[in-house]
Amino acid sequence: MEMPLLCIKDLKVEYKQNGEAISGVDGVSLSINKGESLGIIGESGSGKTSLAMAIMGLINKPNEVSGSLVFDGNDINTLDKKQLSRLRWKRIAIVFQNSLDILNPLLTIQEQIYEVLIRHCDFSKEQINKRIMDLLLKVGLTLDTARCFPHELSGGMRQRVLIAMALSCEPELLIVDEPTSSLDSLSKNEIIKLLSELYIENNFALLIISHELDTVLKLTSKVCVMYSGTIVERGSTSEVIVDPMHVYTKGLLKSSPAINPFGDMWGIPNERSRVGKLGCPFENRCTQSIEICKTKKPKLNYILPNREVSCHRGGIVTILRGTALSKSYKSKSRTIEACINCNIEIKSGEIVALIGESGSGKTTLASILSGILKSDQGEVLFEEVPVRGNNFTSRQEGVQMVLQDPFSAINEKLSVGEAISEPVKIMTKQSSDLLKADVQRVLKEVQLPSEDAFLNRKCYSLSGGQRQRVSLARSLMVKPKLLIADEISSMLDPSTQANILRLLKKLQNEKGFSMLYITHDLAVARKIADRVYVMAQGKIVEEGIASKVFLNPDHEYTRKLVGETENWYVLNNKG
Amino acid sequence: MMFDCFKKFFEYSIIFFFILTLNFFIPRLMPGDPFTFLSSDEGGVHQSYSEEQIEMYKAYYGMDKPLQVQYSDYFKNLIRGNLGYSIYYNDNVLRLILRSAKWTLGITLISLLISTIMGTILGSLSAWYRNSIVDRGLYPVMILLSEIPAFLMAILLLFTLAAKSSLFPLSGGITVFGEYETWFDKLLDVLHHGFLPSLSLTLSQLGGFYLLARNSMITVISKDYMRTALAKGLSSKRIILRHGLRNSILPIITRVFMSLGSVLGGAILVENVFNYPGLGRLMREAVTVRDYVLIQGIFLVVAFLVLAMNLLADVLYKKIDPRVG
Repeated sequence: MEMPLLCIKDLKVEYKQNGEAISGVDGVSLSINKGESLGIIGESGSGKTSLAMAIMGLINKPNEVSGSLVFDGNDINTLDKKQLSRLRWKRIAIVFQNSLDILNPLLTIQEQIYEVLIRHCDFSKEQINKRIMDLLLKVGLTLDTARCFPHELSGGMRQRVLIAMALSCEPELLIVDEPTSSLDSLSKNEIIKLLSELYIENNFALLIISHELDTVLKLTSKVCVMYSGTIVERGSTSEVIVDPMHVYTKGLLKSSPAINPFGDMWGIPNERSRVGKLGCPFENRCTQSIEICKTKKPKLNYILPNREVSCHRGGIVTILRGTALSKSYKSKSRTIEACINCNIEIKSGEIVALIGESGSGKTTLASILSGILKSDQGEVLFEEVPVRGNNFTSRQEGVQMVLQDPFSAINEKLSVGEAISEPVKIMTKQSSDLLKADVQRVLKEVQLPSEDAFLNRKCYSLSGGQRQRVSLARSLMVKPKLLIADEISSMLDPSTQANILRLLKKLQNEKGFSMLYITHDLAVARKIADRVYVMAQGKIVEEGIASKVFLNPDHEYTRKLVGETENWYVLNNKG
Repeated sequence: MMFDCFKKFFEYSIIFFFILTLNFFIPRLMPGDPFTFLSSDEGGVHQSYSEEQIEMYKAYYGMDKPLQVQYSDYFKNLIRGNLGYSIYYNDNVLRLILRSAKWTLGITLISLLISTIMGTILGSLSAWYRNSIVDRGLYPVMILLSEIPAFLMAILLLFTLAAKSSLFPLSGGITVFGEYETWFDKLLDVLHHGFLPSLSLTLSQLGGFYLLARNSMITVISKDYMRTALAKGLSSKRIILRHGLRNSILPIITRVFMSLGSVLGGAILVENVFNYPGLGRLMREAVTVRDYVLIQGIFLVVAFLVLAMNLLADVLYKKIDPRVG
């Protein structure tokens, strides 16, 4: 196997500020082969740029770099100033993040490119001038740009100048830091196109650092996801973006409108914790953290042949798995096949929509999954334990169901407080006084009043929307890991429906429970779902990530469903 | 571009007009007039004037006319380049001023030049080696220097280097009745006399320039383009001079021109400490004897110098910073 061009092992960057050490990069190992493209994604502050600076040898005292950074046999970390300045730009060049001050304001573009060529390349004056002209043309600028000063250029032009400058000495490794983040979408696409053309043409190794997932998706074949100075997931770019296996990556994808065009945007909950703390850095924002996550830092491990994830739980956990589920109802005259060989999977922190017309078997499937109904064939596993009867619905951190009809789902003779605390009371045998604080908390969460007067109100005096909230609160009391919501908004008026859905999504994002959302309403599913199962006549006919299913459905039935919704939109927008 | 120049010129003309007007009125707002002063006992050596003589002089200098007539006469004369005739010295004001101005300009320009160069070099070094021993030593000293007014510095120097150790002459711009073999000897004598006034002005300006240069360089060092220059693998010399100093020197250049006013102000006080034969001394004398014409003349010349420097700074800045203009 050939030696990688750049091999980084256990790289740490520490910034010293007022005697305090702040970790920027915390033990990153990666390698880039000749001509390979690698993307690094992560929120701002995740250490991406520190990594690039370390590769360029630009981290100065008193800040510290440790670990090894071997570029073509030389450890960058041990080179002296002179050797470093010979390596920079000639062999490793960087396109810095575009900012007004990134180019010296007092020198023309010509001078700024000239000075690297005269320093690193053995060219005559004429050759240099010719090369500058070639470079400018190559990146799509006109020749008179050479005489311009940086302030006379637009953001997109400046980005092109930065690229031209970086390519001037034909480096073997090109680092590009946030190539598109400050550009409008048109120039953004042009820069992406330019970079990919140049990459193909010049055959340098490319390291793209960006928080914009679509940029990385278009420019790289492999990707590292960075969080808090560590790599949390690594794999091939297209696979990671379609099927993230770390909770963080998934959160990032959900926050990107380019990758996730339909659903609401939801940022990752909570603030980033300090880099370098004990345990997993993502622990306080993770929706599936367990005890060990608090004390031990996970290592990057292979969970698939070409996917590494740094997680004690081996990436995103599959919380519920139903395999080969079948169920038929027999009446006197005929047999109705409600479920035929259905396979369904729900991962931790995921919202799965189960779509289908009424009578397609959705509710039957949901009842089987929750254990209310026994299937004829097949098996349901909740966290790898078989679901039997109410073994998961009757415990905390299990499965809860919220039903379609709030009027019959709650005993209307009970007071609000009683209705909400009842399940927990049965499960834990605690007294109502002890539970009162919890009841008030969940009431606040579902945006209902939590005063005593409301707690003592009888349920029959509540409106439909309020009752649905109460039944949601009742489910939240037992801190479910999976919430099955069966057409919960269908009996509500549009405004209440919107409120309930927003609430549900917000709670889901904060608490991180998984949700199976059963609906016949495509528009609603499109708004909230990460993944979609489409059911027709007892069979699951299509499944996939929401954007794909809605944009490009495979099955005819789905196409018909989606098409009808589209038509409805068109009709409405005309009026 | 032509339009811009014209506009700038027009702006400065208006400012100059206001200054001229103020210049006309301010001396006339002072209590007393040249003739009451001349006839008072304070003057001592001067003879006193009778009522008729005062009337005559007033008529001679046009002071018996109404104010607005004096005002328009003043402008008419200015346009002819006639700054008037000193009441006290009985001499042409312009000639008087030019005679003193060369001394003042000598010490101000020399001290401005030295303090700028020294300040820039020391300030840049301090910034480049920030928090080193050099920086830590220089910084408080320079802050102290920048806070000491020029005349106080002058008095200190006068005490230590002239009065106590008599290394330098106590007063004057040149040895009185001195005879010189060559022009070089004369120059040495002039430099010897001018050294302390220049030094006090230099020291009082140095702190300011040092702090500005240091601050400016620190700002420049933190700029992204300095990191770009480093990443480009350029030589240290090129990074420091072409990318660092070239940018950090911009505010210093403006300050050189802008500070001319304050240096002249400082010089006027310093000259009085050393009894140096420059504009400062002339001005003090003119003020004490209420010599309107001379006061006006001096103010006019000083104001003109300061404005001209500001204009020059404006024009020059456009030349050196492509972002302006």
